[in-house]
Amino acid sequence: MKTLLKYAAALLAVAMALAPIYWLVTISLKREIDQFASPPLWLGFTPTFRHYAGIFVHDAFGRYFLNSVIVSTGSTMIAIGLGLPAAYGLVRFRWPRDWARGISFWILSNRMLPPIVTIVPLFLMLRQVRLLNSLIGLILADTGLNLPFVIWMMRGFIEDLPREIEEAALLDGESRMGVLLRIVLPLVRPGLAATAVFCLIVAWNEFLFALILSQTQTAMTVPVGIAGHVTQYEIQWGAMSAAGVVAMLPVLIFAAAAQRYFVRGLSLGAIKG
Amino acid sequence: MSAWQMTAVREMRKTRRIPPGLIWVAPALLVLATLSIYPLLYLIKVSLTDIHGFTIAHYARLFHDRSFGVAVGQTLLYASVALTLEFLLGLALALLVDSLARGRALIRVGILAPMLLPPVVAAVIWRLIYNPEFGVLNGMLRQLGFNTANLTWTSGRLTAMLSVILVDVWEWTPFFFLLLGAGLQAIPAEPIEAARVDGAGYWRTLMDVIMPLLKPTILLALLLRSMDLLRIFDQIFILTQGGPGSATETISLYIYRTAFRFSNFGYAAAMSFIALMITMLAARGLMRVMKLR
Amino acid sequence: MAGRRPAPLLLSILLLAGCSRDAADKSLTIAVNAGVEGSTLKAAAHEWGELRSTRVDVVELPYANLFEKESLDLQSRTGAYDVIMLDDPWFPKLVAEGGLTQLPREPDGDFLASCLAVCRHPFGSKTFYALPYVGNSQLFFYRKDLFEKYKLGAPDRWENVLRAARTIGEREKIYGYVMRAAPGNPAVADFMPLLWAFGGDIFDARGQPNVASTEAIEALRFMIELGKSAPPGYAGFNADEVSAHLLQGTAAMSINWPAWIAAMDDPSKSKVPDKIEFAPMPSARAPGVAELGAWLLAVPVASSHRDAAFDFIYWATDARQMMQAAERGNPPTRRSVFQSPDLVKKFRAFPAQLAALEAARPRPRTPQWNEIENAFGVSLSQANSGAISPEVAMQQANREIADILDRNK
Repeated sequence: MKTLLKYAAALLAVAMALAPIYWLVTISLKREIDQFASPPLWLGFTPTFRHYAGIFVHDAFGRYFLNSVIVSTGSTMIAIGLGLPAAYGLVRFRWPRDWARGISFWILSNRMLPPIVTIVPLFLMLRQVRLLNSLIGLILADTGLNLPFVIWMMRGFIEDLPREIEEAALLDGESRMGVLLRIVLPLVRPGLAATAVFCLIVAWNEFLFALILSQTQTAMTVPVGIAGHVTQYEIQWGAMSAAGVVAMLPVLIFAAAAQRYFVRGLSLGAIKG
Repeated sequence: MSAWQMTAVREMRKTRRIPPGLIWVAPALLVLATLSIYPLLYLIKVSLTDIHGFTIAHYARLFHDRSFGVAVGQTLLYASVALTLEFLLGLALALLVDSLARGRALIRVGILAPMLLPPVVAAVIWRLIYNPEFGVLNGMLRQLGFNTANLTWTSGRLTAMLSVILVDVWEWTPFFFLLLGAGLQAIPAEPIEAARVDGAGYWRTLMDVIMPLLKPTILLALLLRSMDLLRIFDQIFILTQGGPGSATETISLYIYRTAFRFSNFGYAAAMSFIALMITMLAARGLMRVMKLR
Repeated sequence: MAGRRPAPLLLSILLLAGCSRDAADKSLTIAVNAGVEGSTLKAAAHEWGELRSTRVDVVELPYANLFEKESLDLQSRTGAYDVIMLDDPWFPKLVAEGGLTQLPREPDGDFLASCLAVCRHPFGSKTFYALPYVGNSQLFFYRKDLFEKYKLGAPDRWENVLRAARTIGEREKIYGYVMRAAPGNPAVADFMPLLWAFGGDIFDARGQPNVASTEAIEALRFMIELGKSAPPGYAGFNADEVSAHLLQGTAAMSINWPAWIAAMDDPSKSKVPDKIEFAPMPSARAPGVAELGAWLLAVPVASSHRDAAFDFIYWATDARQMMQAAERGNPPTRRSVFQSPDLVKKFRAFPAQLAALEAARPRPRTPQWNEIENAFGVSLSQANSGAISPEVAMQQANREIADILDRNK
């Protein structure tokens, strides 16, 4: 009996977590009259794909999607390209006094900067180098978000590796860079992959930078496109919900891929669970 | 000497003053410095400037700006209520799911879903749900016989903050659920067994054995989440844009409005600096906790 | 994964990112309001683009965000937009920073004087920095069928409006009145006609804030009284809630904008087609005056396609284009269009609109209007939601407006 109650409670929790998402999906598939039906229609409505067609044809949503893909992948790759060597450098080299720790914590503190603090200087900086309203500018801004995370996470993963293998390679005459690329990298690949996924998710979901640093469709990303549908006079429910569904699918897929390292990523490496 | 030590000595001899690892770290540090140190310096400069030149007027204004005080208060209110609810619910769920025999993985996936969404999407979902005329929340309440005439959720002065907090709770309880769940799993079985053998009941075991062992994880989770709560922006922007009036205006939103609607960049910069100091306090606490690990 | 060969992939991504920058020579970027007014300009822009074989990019943004983006663009001279659509209260700020280009030639005399007035800088001079595209002035919407049913006189005075609202509220199962009092622009927009009708104004003759005057407080008290006949929560309403109530037939009267007239008579959107009448603002001790809300078109100084931009805005505001825009639901700014027989037949409210527009008053011409409107609107909304008394609200507002002016001297 007690077990039954427990399962019931657990299922209730799942339902409450998923119901709103389900609702979003149904709104995106409903005709307008059904969207506003009272009492609300949970099932049994005729679906239509008009809203999805609408956002891609009328609203340049395809452009936003492509922009988001470019910005997410670009910033992730740069963050990893810079962050992995940096993590290796911090962990596997000797540093005077407590430098390694100090630098690491300074790097971590960057992750805690509220975006609103850096947005105006960033705007002006990018304007100076004519990178405003450009995807490259956004990639730079998001790299700033992802780089500390990559360094911090990879620090943990590299620390976990036994030194012997690297030592052996060094004895054999391998260069440091060789050790990193040929020995360490394959061993941390799962952790690196998960870190990359986290970076992709962060960049994909990022809103404030994209909102301020973009001025036309050239640089607008998916979250900005969604916000644009929340207009003053009419709430375009069909478009808004279709956009929302399209926006969340990649993230859910990415997340499924990084499941194993969720706890580690969310706790910034503190909990290895 | 091990191969490791030999390499290290070799490298130390090569460059006496400059740490050999610096070259590896330098590019990353350079990028970060450009994207965070320079903006910070710029921020400080702007906060001390107005149309007439150097001034501390912006900081002075902070002290008697009622709206700023309100924003700070509302941010703290939002953060504390959301944190408490998320923690308690997350803990309860973690304990619950931990005690289930089967289906844990599937249930976990289900509960986690809200946390993965872009905050903008979560806000959109709840805007649809909260709509007083056509939203499903009022729709269901009406079906149950309630009069929803006064329940305007995000447009109501009294209900707006509650509505916004609820969205945060829905979205981020999974965070505590996940972290505390991992913490629970890491607890060794012996102390719990020992307590059971001693005849302790469920609550006893929970309070005296499990919670103390869970404390580091709890602390970590609380600190991580509070830092994010203090700088909350995305959801509130979409849900209410800080309204009605400034009922849901947090520090980030007030800074945003000051900078981009009123073009008062100097004042916005001063506020940002203060907001940064507050966040850094929380961050230091977090880092101290992490140093213990 | 990206372990083996990240370089080519990274390079192609960066190339893609770089290529997506606007390089086209013949292109025009237009920033418009995401709403009724903006969609007509959008349609006109695409037509013009085809005529001139120029690529047109339209950026549609919600009202508040449109201002933010335009203000930022003009201030930092980024030249992201070649043509901007702006609400007339934004004009003093955008032009004061030198961000708008002066018109190459004066607008012709067919434009209504009240609409042209807000395009001049300095106010009252002969130099123009924008062309008026949408001529909006508030109208009073009321259910004439219900007025006839209960033998209520025309809503020409605010006292009558109040009485009618109470009567209808009691006898029918609907709200007698509906208004928007969400803090900021909504509250102020619905309050100004009352303020002016009671003889008050935001600034006095010397340009000092004057909202704590007896007339102003009286007007606010009246607004709150009227609010008792409005749906609860109106202190958080925006334009769409107000119109929703009218369209659904759940409220009988409101101040509103002509953009909504078409929807009121459209059976697919409205439950009360042809039952709503449109009249000028009611009077109190001063004659009824509507607030002017014109959408203007201007060319930022930093635009790199200024000639094409001016070509477009003169084209879009000529009589023929404006007739087309009017057919699509945009109130015009040209007298000839308002008086065109075909349109008058189609839009039964045109004569009322023309009269209201000619007499409409613009909001105070100050570059700090955004901040002032915000501060004012917050106090108004607080008073309407009962959080503070009207006196306290107005004194608070007065102080804040004075502070805003002081800071920007």
